[in-house]
This record gives sequence, C-alpha cells and structure tokens, in this order.
Amino acid sequence: MPVAHGQVNKSMTLSNSDAETPDRIVELRLPSRLGYEKVAMDAAASLARRMGFNGDRVEALRTALAEAVTNAIEHGNERDSAMKVLVVLIVRPDELVVSVADQGLKPLDHDQTTHIPNIEETLHKSDKGGWGIWLIRELMDEVEFSTAPSGGNQVRMVIHLEQ
Amino acid sequence: MCAVTESSHKLSTIELSVPSELGYEKVVRDTIAAFARRLGFDNERIDDLKTAIGEACINAIEHGNGGVPDQRISVSCICEDERLTVEVRDRGVKPYDGHAAVPSIEQKLQGIAPLRGMGLMLIAQLVDEADFTNHPAGGNLFRLSLYRRRDAAHP
Repeated sequence: MPVAHGQVNKSMTLSNSDAETPDRIVELRLPSRLGYEKVAMDAAASLARRMGFNGDRVEALRTALAEAVTNAIEHGNERDSAMKVLVVLIVRPDELVVSVADQGLKPLDHDQTTHIPNIEETLHKSDKGGWGIWLIRELMDEVEFSTAPSGGNQVRMVIHLEQ
Repeated sequence: MCAVTESSHKLSTIELSVPSELGYEKVVRDTIAAFARRLGFDNERIDDLKTAIGEACINAIEHGNGGVPDQRISVSCICEDERLTVEVRDRGVKPYDGHAAVPSIEQKLQGIAPLRGMGLMLIAQLVDEADFTNHPAGGNLFRLSLYRRRDAAHP
C-alpha cells in the first residue's frame, strides 16, 4: 500500500516552533441540546492531550469549554435544538485556540462578560448560576467575547502550552 | 446527566472537520465516541465504532486525500432511533476503486499480497453496514452504520 512518506508522518504535536507552520483547524458543529457540551469537551481534550498539555490543563480546558458551550446552548440559542453551536479548535505550536459561537437569539451584553459575581450574594440566592464566564476567565490564559461572523455570540479562549 | 433522554423521533447530528493528517483520526474517534456515549450506546459497541472510524479516517487520509496534508476530512454522525450512521468524506484525490480484488489473509501471509490493506475487512466485521459512494459534490463518501444492539441489524 503506497504511503506518501514525509507528508503524513508529521507529528501533530507540532514540536517545532517554526512560525511558518500553518495552523491546524478542527471544526465541530453540535445541536443546541444540553449534554452535547460533553462531545465538545472530549474533542478538545483529545486534541489537547496529543498536543502535550498536562492533565490539569486538559481538565481546565474541559471545564472552560463546558461552560462556554452550555452558555451557547442555554442562552445564545435558547435551547432550540435546531440551532447549532460551532466549536473551532486551532492548533498552533505553542497554544490551542478554542472559539465557541452560537446563533445569537439572545445577544450577550458587555456587562455580563465582565461582571464578577459575589459569593456572599450567591449563597443567599436560590439561583446559584452565573459563574460560567468568571470561571472561564479564571481557567484560560486569554478570553475574548465578540460577535461571530454568523451574527451570534462568540467566545475565543486561548490556552498556552508551557514547555 | 442522563444519556438517553432524547425522544426517539428526534434526529441527532454532529459534524466534524479535521486536517487530513495522521493523528487527527484519534480526535475524530474520541469525538464520535462521546456522541455515541451520550446517545446511550454501550461500551462494546463504542469500541467497535472507534476502531472502524479510525480505519475509515486513515483510508481517507492516505488514499482518498492521497496523503496531501492541506486537504480536509469531513465527518457527519447522524443518529436516528436505533441506528448511528457515520459518513467520512474525503476530497477524492484518489477515487476508491471498488473493483480491485481484495487479497485474502492467506495471500498476505504467503507474502503474495501486501500485509497492510485490511482496514475495510476489519470495518466490515465491526459495524452492521459499510459502503462507499461518490459524494455529489466530489470526493469519496464512506458510510458506516451500526445499531444500538449488535443483533438488531439481522432480526
């Protein structure tokens, strides 16, 4: 069976730090139904492990992505399962960029993305939610909220590979 | 969270696209395994599915896309009722030649046929249905299906 040597044997960990190494992109489209965040978490964890992230960092990524995808399903797409959540993973030699975009039925306002919830107040409220964005900011190295090309909400998270 | 809460008439679909490079078949396997787990497939069926998908993706990377790293592989997973279908599409750099005679294990052991090239045989053993078609927009489309229960395909 002919195999194109040299082309397909390149390691996907991209250990060389050549700036000209093209980005490797993985795209995943999911229905807006709770539970599907786990598919995104496993996809990203699989990729991150193979890039050489350690167990703790992979767990941090899983948690941040779970929050981002859950937000997209529950808020951005208002649990309309016909709506899609797009997860784009960009593999670079020294970092993994993860973008999550919804179809923006309910746009996220700026205050929501910068608000730091108060633990004392939360303890006295029946709704203990609202910590997702804060958590994402705690876990990821770079976090940026914007409007997706599709018009929905988009969160872009970066996790650096420390060597 | 419960895995099988979806009503059966609902169609569940995920779509995935990865670079045509060895190694990425593992990302596809892990993603589809998570999907099947969410749909309540048992571990044994998920292991069959993972092996079959790995082989199908490697075929697409090495043959369908001819080892050209800039190409991509698109994978769709559709679950309806008891059946999970996975479609692996390459860009058809090299179209699948369905008429080539498949060498037997004996020929391989005797050194008459190459030792590799058992992927399709393996896939056929693991899943309930598997076949190639041409994608309307070009490229090879390899489709495999498996039922929630191993015996469901042949009642």
